[in-house]
Amino acid sequence: MVASIIKVKDLTKNYDETKAVRGISFTVKKGEVFSMVGPNGAGKTTTVEICEGIRKPTSGIIRLFGKEFSKRSKEIRERIGVLPQEYRSFERLTVKETLKYYSSFYKRKRNIDEIISLLDLEDKKDDLYMNLSGGLKQRVGVGMALVNDPELVFLDEPTTGLDPRARRGVWNAIMSLKEEGKTIFLTTHYMEEAEYLADRVAIVHKGRIVGQGSLRELISDHGGHYNVVMHGYDTSRIDILGEEASVDSEQNVSLPVNDPEEISQILSKVMQNGVKFESIEVRRANLEEVFMNLTGTTIEEGDAA
Amino acid sequence: MRPIAIINDFLANLRMWYRSKGTVFWAIAFPILLMLIFGAIYQGQSDVTVSLYVQDLDGSEISEEFISSLSEQLNIENIPADVDGDEYISENNIRAALIIPEDFGNTIYRVQQGSNENISLSLSLDPTRESVNGIIRGVVGGTLHGWNNEITGSRDVLTFQEKSLTAEEFKFIDYFMPGVIGLTVMTSTIYGTIFRNTKYRKWGILRKLSTTPFTRWEYLISKMLFMTFVSFVSTFLIILVGVLVWDISVTIDIYLFIIVISAAFAFSGMGMIISRFVKEEETADSAAGAITFPQMFLAGTFFPLEVMPSYLSSIARVLPLYYVNEGLRDSMIYQDSSGALFNTAVIFSIAAVLFVIGALVTKWTE
Ligand SMILES: Nc1ncnc2c1ncn2[C@@H]1O[C@H](COP(=O)(O)OP(=O)(O)O)[C@@H](O)[C@H]1O
Ligand SMILES: [Mg+2]
Repeated sequence: MVASIIKVKDLTKNYDETKAVRGISFTVKKGEVFSMVGPNGAGKTTTVEICEGIRKPTSGIIRLFGKEFSKRSKEIRERIGVLPQEYRSFERLTVKETLKYYSSFYKRKRNIDEIISLLDLEDKKDDLYMNLSGGLKQRVGVGMALVNDPELVFLDEPTTGLDPRARRGVWNAIMSLKEEGKTIFLTTHYMEEAEYLADRVAIVHKGRIVGQGSLRELISDHGGHYNVVMHGYDTSRIDILGEEASVDSEQNVSLPVNDPEEISQILSKVMQNGVKFESIEVRRANLEEVFMNLTGTTIEEGDAA
Repeated sequence: MRPIAIINDFLANLRMWYRSKGTVFWAIAFPILLMLIFGAIYQGQSDVTVSLYVQDLDGSEISEEFISSLSEQLNIENIPADVDGDEYISENNIRAALIIPEDFGNTIYRVQQGSNENISLSLSLDPTRESVNGIIRGVVGGTLHGWNNEITGSRDVLTFQEKSLTAEEFKFIDYFMPGVIGLTVMTSTIYGTIFRNTKYRKWGILRKLSTTPFTRWEYLISKMLFMTFVSFVSTFLIILVGVLVWDISVTIDIYLFIIVISAAFAFSGMGMIISRFVKEEETADSAAGAITFPQMFLAGTFFPLEVMPSYLSSIARVLPLYYVNEGLRDSMIYQDSSGALFNTAVIFSIAAVLFVIGALVTKWTE
């Protein structure tokens, strides 16, 4: 049996009027990357910050390393590393000075140069934080969460607002942690990020976990195995494809199928009805579809709501 | 409590501080500029109005008439008739005084009846204030000359004898320097605290710190050590300029230290309280300005409370900066130990209250 590093049961959190978290339960096991995926306002930050001891829950049980935060806060703080959402560090400290600064608070310390090389920051270690690009700033933020060689690392939306190249850089940094066997609690509203990094995913929507499991489990349970996507299909004739067919933002028609054999049946149905299309593509289902199927919206639509 | 963490936080602050041009300007360059510019403007100049203290030992109608003719051109202040004039003058640091002798009125009366006597008034002046002395001498001499003409038409019945006051003299810059110290400690601690608290909260630094073993108390101690340190750096640079450039004679005693430390705590407390209400970085500037500017002008930094209308000077008496300024003046310049003790006690108490409230309302997380 693998030890559970975080155990959360029936967590709720209300801010005055807002019910931000409405009964969430999950566990994070030792050595895994656990990711909470969901749109803005779903309750991710509220959940992580309660786990980090920053906010107080309205109700529910939260255990880190089998202990309650309120009783063992000092001990627990020594064992966790945190990168808060939208974190900005001291403008006028260099990368190395920033890491040293945070390192000075802990009993246990990891070699700073080792962290710098792990995150591929050697060239920038003497640059002031204020002069770094967004991606580098986030890598320093990850580094700052590693100074005490923590057993558990929290990363709250570490790549939000970064361009794809910078995001890659941060992913590589997180990958290196994962390879070291660290337990990581990652939140994101990028599906690709969870697909790329996470061992297990919890999909949160409006303060609830609507689905959780490994990527494979989620896709087989909620994704349909494959997705047939037709470009240039006459969307007024979508009815012949059955209830599960949908139209995406680029006017492509997509349809989940459990079995590749169904594809030939679909094609013959389309032919018989004389509907034309330009091209057809068969994709493995991804988290995007899982989210869609579980919530009835896309994650972008969820943001707006 | 781990001293190492506190020292590290202190050193990080110091690093960030000297790398930031703005803070170094306000804590060092600005007060030095003030000292140089205002020192030059007011060089050698003293009080704006020319005052003459008069002790009327005669107390007759004639002497009163004489005083009232002096008052047409001078600001006359009264020395009570029942005190020792010279002692009173030195105790109260009076720079110009005229003593009218006891027999003044009677002598004039007798001369008018044909007597041949004359009588001399004693005029004490501070030799270092020559420009002002000229005015006083001119007015006193001119008035006496007018009276002599009236009494006898020619003979100098009334004369004055001049005495030099040897006590030290205070120039504008003596008054100003403690004010510059108070002003600088106030601006650098209030701005520093408000900016730090607002930015660190907005940027997630406070949230991050709350997940580390570093405690709020350790953080607070380190920040206070730092603000106190910066305050002393400013203080000693200002004193250095005052002594080297303007030749001010400064007394450095325990009051100076207590006042500067209290000021750092009082204004940090004020900053912490204000930062509770400042949500955005952009408003930090105006919030800090709103609390520092009125104090700067009302608390007797640039000019004495005595020249302000009374409703403004009573406002000054509720401002912490007023007690800092007055206390520093009393201890560093005037060597008035009872005044220093009183002002030090007041600012110390204000500091204790503001700092405790500030520390209590400062939270790392909502
Ligand atoms: N400090 C707060 N006070 C009041 N409401 C809050 C606070 N923090 C978050 N919320 C609200 O709680 C909900 C969940 O927010 P959050 O946990 O930040 O979600 P996410 O991290 O998934 O974007 C949102 O509706 C948000 O507006
Ligand atoms: Mg969030």
